[in-house]
Amino acid sequence: MALKELAKSGDLGADLAAAFDASPNPYMLLTPELRYAGMNRAYLEVTQQTREALIGRYVMEAFDAGGDDHNARRLLGSFQKVLATGETDHLPVLHYAIPLPDGQGGSHYVDRYWSCTHSPILDAGGTLRFILQHTTDITELQLLRRQAREGGGAESALDAIVGGGVMARAQRVQEDNRRLEVERGRLIDMFMQAPGFVAVLNGPDHVFEMVNPAYAQLVGHRPVTGQSIRDALPELQGQGYFELLDDVYATGEPFEGKESQVQLQHTPNGPLATVYLNFIYQPIRDADGRITGIFVQGHEVTDSVLAAQRQKLMIDELNHRVKNTLATVQSIAMQTARSHDDPRTFAESFQSRLMALSHTHDLLTRSHWEGADLAEILRHETEAHDPLRLLANGPPVALGPAAALSLGMIFHELATNAAKYGALSDARGRVMVDWSVADQTDRRLTIEWRELDGPPVSTPSRRGFGSRLIERNVRHDLGGEAELTYAADGLRAAITLPLDRGHDQ
Amino acid sequence: MTQALEGRTILVVEDESLVAMLLETILEDMGCTPLGPVSTVEEALKVVAGDAPFDGALLDVNVAGKEVFPVAAALKERGVPFVFSTGYGEGGLPEEWRGQPTLQKPFTEDAVQQALMKALGVSV
Repeated sequence: MALKELAKSGDLGADLAAAFDASPNPYMLLTPELRYAGMNRAYLEVTQQTREALIGRYVMEAFDAGGDDHNARRLLGSFQKVLATGETDHLPVLHYAIPLPDGQGGSHYVDRYWSCTHSPILDAGGTLRFILQHTTDITELQLLRRQAREGGGAESALDAIVGGGVMARAQRVQEDNRRLEVERGRLIDMFMQAPGFVAVLNGPDHVFEMVNPAYAQLVGHRPVTGQSIRDALPELQGQGYFELLDDVYATGEPFEGKESQVQLQHTPNGPLATVYLNFIYQPIRDADGRITGIFVQGHEVTDSVLAAQRQKLMIDELNHRVKNTLATVQSIAMQTARSHDDPRTFAESFQSRLMALSHTHDLLTRSHWEGADLAEILRHETEAHDPLRLLANGPPVALGPAAALSLGMIFHELATNAAKYGALSDARGRVMVDWSVADQTDRRLTIEWRELDGPPVSTPSRRGFGSRLIERNVRHDLGGEAELTYAADGLRAAITLPLDRGHDQ
Repeated sequence: MTQALEGRTILVVEDESLVAMLLETILEDMGCTPLGPVSTVEEALKVVAGDAPFDGALLDVNVAGKEVFPVAAALKERGVPFVFSTGYGEGGLPEEWRGQPTLQKPFTEDAVQQALMKALGVSV
């Protein structure tokens, strides 16, 4: 029955199965795992096996070539090629021994020559479901040739008669194919081992023909081979890449992407990740110059793009900090100038303020600008004075950069004032600095600076830069309070500030 | 220094007290009255929404880790002219605010006056 009539009969499946079974040509079907899914009567006859003995069995176990590893590998190689490429493969001459019943319940291997064709059977979605083997036993032809050779003389004539010339040609073609196959294998090896990602897309729908491990990794090891890119990587919809591929396919113009941002499912079943790729879409042409597909090649540059972005951010931030520091220095210079008429005392005062700022910067640099310890800052800003006359007492307190810079300036102003007019200006005076942290949930730092046993203190007639700086700094920069008391027995400064302000930078 | 801006009240938004003190000094030298200074975006928004009258504002772009642009938008809506001050340069401003008078830190007294005059539309 012709196929068209079969189709009309309305029971295509059953009729086809019947036709398959009745065919004089031996056929068998393998699953992608190379297990028997079915075979026809002719196949069972030629192998002298039963359906029950074969269904579900691994083909290379059912027929192991009797220890002839070379030919077993050729047969397996042909199946694997069909699985990998989805294309039909031929083995024009295969020398393959099969076990035949010996009549006493056992079996023995019998030499056989076969000519096989292995065809992929795809489902509607294009996925390979089965391999169909059509095999012909050509043992007799081969035996005839050998007998002719052994009998001598008549070889070429007999060869011509039984098709030996055809066989020889087939063998040559097979040899060529083998050589090409080796070359193709070498090329594929190169793709597979390439550090960058490689994919070959076929046809106007961009169906994945092959991808290398780097590409598989890029797409989170999803199975893509045999699927169109729109089906395989649906998350690319709306990102412009499908349109670019359509364009390359239509125009034949290659496309090069530089640091191109892609939202991709990068890990198996993972969320969308942003990756940056350098890549090229190169059209593939056949012998007539028609475009048949697109070669995709590239590498991921996410790390270097992110590093460059981080670097730009850091440079911007550095610039911001430097400019702000310069504005601070400018302010110190201007305010200092206003309280000094003598250029020499101005220079001295300005420099010591600059050094105070610089000391705190040094401390912060050591911690990569994460912060500094209060006692450490105090020690740094007062190290010019006798440590026995400046008694510091309090727990370790980690200060953020802004608080550290402010308190550095404040301690400097207090110490300078003490050395000029206060407790450190004569031989007897002392300074006690005590601090504590209250309320561990909403932490507040209290610092008390007390000068004792120094010369008598009187309230200054005019508020100097130092006292303005202390009050303003604590209130404005740190959100705290500062109170300066000019008590008769010595200056007192009480400072309280919150330690956990959201923004300290 | 000319007294072209004499008598104006200028809001100062700046998180570093030393820089704020510098601006106050410069403003007072020009005959202006400084308002504030305030050191956070929240405080600045309160002043802008409040009743205190003022003629212009100096806005630090990065105030205690926050961008000052909500304050700029509120001022624009209220029709109060303002000047940005920044260490990033005008290139660091988003598209929306390019072209706004901008002071580069550190700044001279002259630059502060020029920028304010430009913003307030005052000619010498």
